[in-house]
Amino acid sequence: MRAGVATAVQEPSPRVLLIEDEPQSAAHMAAGLERAGWSVETAADGPTGLARASGEEFDVLVVDRMLRGLDGLSLVGALRRDGVQTPVLFLTAMGSVADRVAGLKGGGDDYLVKPFYLDELEARLQALARRSVTPLRERTVLRARDLTVDRLNQVVQRGERTIDLLPLEYKLLEFLLLNAGQPVTRAMLLERVWGFRFDPRTNIVETHISRLRAKLDEAGGEPLIATVRGAGYVICAD
Amino acid sequence: MSSALTDRWRPPLFFSRIGARIALAHALAVVLAFALAGYVAEVSLNRIAQTAMRDRIRGEAASLLDEFGQKGSAHLPYTVAKRQRLWRGFDYRIDDAGGHFLAGKLPSLKAGWSIATLGKGGPGGGQGARRFLAFTQRLPDGAVLSVGQDMAVEAGQGAAIAWTLAACGALGVIFCVGLSYLASRGDWRRIAAIADVADAVSDGDLKVRAAARPSARDDIDQLGLAFNAMLDRIGALIGQVRQVSTDIAHDMRTPLTRHRQRLERLRAHVRNQPDLLAEVRGLEGDVEEILRTFDALLQLSEIEAGGEGINANFEDLAEIACRVAEAYRPDIEESGRRLTVLAAPAPIWADEALLAQAVANLLENALRHTPRGAAIEVAVSLDAGGAALTVRDDGPGIPAAQREAALRPFVRLEPSRSAPGSGLGLSIVAAVAQRHGARLELTDAEPGLRVRLCFPLVSMAPGAGGLPQRGHVLAL
Repeated sequence: MRAGVATAVQEPSPRVLLIEDEPQSAAHMAAGLERAGWSVETAADGPTGLARASGEEFDVLVVDRMLRGLDGLSLVGALRRDGVQTPVLFLTAMGSVADRVAGLKGGGDDYLVKPFYLDELEARLQALARRSVTPLRERTVLRARDLTVDRLNQVVQRGERTIDLLPLEYKLLEFLLLNAGQPVTRAMLLERVWGFRFDPRTNIVETHISRLRAKLDEAGGEPLIATVRGAGYVICAD
Repeated sequence: MSSALTDRWRPPLFFSRIGARIALAHALAVVLAFALAGYVAEVSLNRIAQTAMRDRIRGEAASLLDEFGQKGSAHLPYTVAKRQRLWRGFDYRIDDAGGHFLAGKLPSLKAGWSIATLGKGGPGGGQGARRFLAFTQRLPDGAVLSVGQDMAVEAGQGAAIAWTLAACGALGVIFCVGLSYLASRGDWRRIAAIADVADAVSDGDLKVRAAARPSARDDIDQLGLAFNAMLDRIGALIGQVRQVSTDIAHDMRTPLTRHRQRLERLRAHVRNQPDLLAEVRGLEGDVEEILRTFDALLQLSEIEAGGEGINANFEDLAEIACRVAEAYRPDIEESGRRLTVLAAPAPIWADEALLAQAVANLLENALRHTPRGAAIEVAVSLDAGGAALTVRDDGPGIPAAQREAALRPFVRLEPSRSAPGSGLGLSIVAAVAQRHGARLELTDAEPGLRVRLCFPLVSMAPGAGGLPQRGHVLAL
């Protein structure tokens, strides 16, 4: 499922703490993430979660908004006050826009509405964990194979060929490159590129990707943007 | 809402007002009472007047008879002529025993009471004729004496009485109608206010209530209270129905989520068996579809319920519309349709995510319900009335009678019943409009459908941060 299982062997596998009080849901997530090469720890209630999150190093935290003892929002608030900057992904129940908004304002870095696919969770955790490690966001030039994107001048080149992209296509490519080597899901693209917090019933993402591919790829060459079935898209790392 | 309810409230004609009817009935009763009283009074006054007249005539006749007894028959014609001349209010005739006219003006009459006519028309009456009530008697010497009195005197009295009665009647009518009007004017207004409330309810505003004094001081207060109780009940029932559908969606999500997790694990196991993998993906797609519908339902109830969930900011409607429209452009164009975007900056106070979804739903709606080759236009404009978003297509449109139904949850109009979609798209648009205090209009684009969202004008310094809370008005 994860593109870089091989690399996971060399690098220490990323550590995630699941703070979730529904055992079934926690077990499902833990099993899926371990299969994808994560090292998973779980905490079944708020206070335990807070203690572990502030006492140990994790790459990313998954926090249920509704927890026994200490709710997710207060937990993250306490962590942030203690200076713990580990990225947090909130799990929220459907039917609570306010929760989601409050979650992002209250120190969360991303959220996922239950129920979700494991692929979606995995992709988002990858993006968050990566964000905490590499200061990729500050890079001025992004590369993938012979593609270069000059972020200061917004110039895209494939080899010697300069490619004209529409603003949205540029944004899409930039986001894929910032997550190079990691699958990016349809929902993530919708959120980050278009700012959509809903699920369109049409193939917006697919159509835009195929237009972008048509501009980037050379005839007969291997496509730069690969489709990960059931998960999303990935642009190859260097 | 039935079509009867959606008919606009018209100010009723004067006579359809119950108050006016009551006043008129009162007036009619007064007129009838006075007419009856007048008739009875006239009849009895007539009788009294006639008796009095007869007494007077008999008295005069007796006085003449006495004169006859004292002064003899020869003198009587002179007395009659003199009395005639001096005018005591009587007319006379005297004939001698042989039937020769001696004196007076009355015609020759038979003995006893009779009515004599005198004047232009001659005997038999006619225009300008005078009628007399006369008493005729034979004197002891065989002469015939008639004494009469003009009946016009008595008729004049009758007329005066009739006039008085008519005047009193007219005053009574005016008094009655006026008092009735003054007394019921307040009531009409209160009834009209209740009708206005009913009108607002039929326009979709279930929060309005009729003004009624809680102690129910009169029957209109009772009507208002009953009406409000009914609205409370309707509100509670709608709330229950909504709650039930939300609960179902919530409750079904848990087993469906488990189902989906199992399918996800199963998918990992059958990775290398293409047939099974396709089957599992198909099942996942179905579950996804059900979950999507439930999500839309939950979202709809969330938006409708309001609460703190709206994250409103100062936004540019044009930016949101353009962003969504451009996201859909490749899809729209690749499906063989055309997209035009005309947007001028238009500041609104809105929840950006909800609004983006509303625009997306409108575009998906246009995409789904138009044939290939259709033109879809997204326009944002700003005028003195506020900002407006219009999504127009030149497809088959929605018949006027079905436009309101199209906004209701799960309503899918006939031609598209078999197409994919939950039937919640436009309901969500309507709910988003309501949350933003925006007016939603569905009109005929001739041809096609034009959906317009009109936002209230925002001042540059928004208040405490809430959205304008106003029921949306559905103009169809």
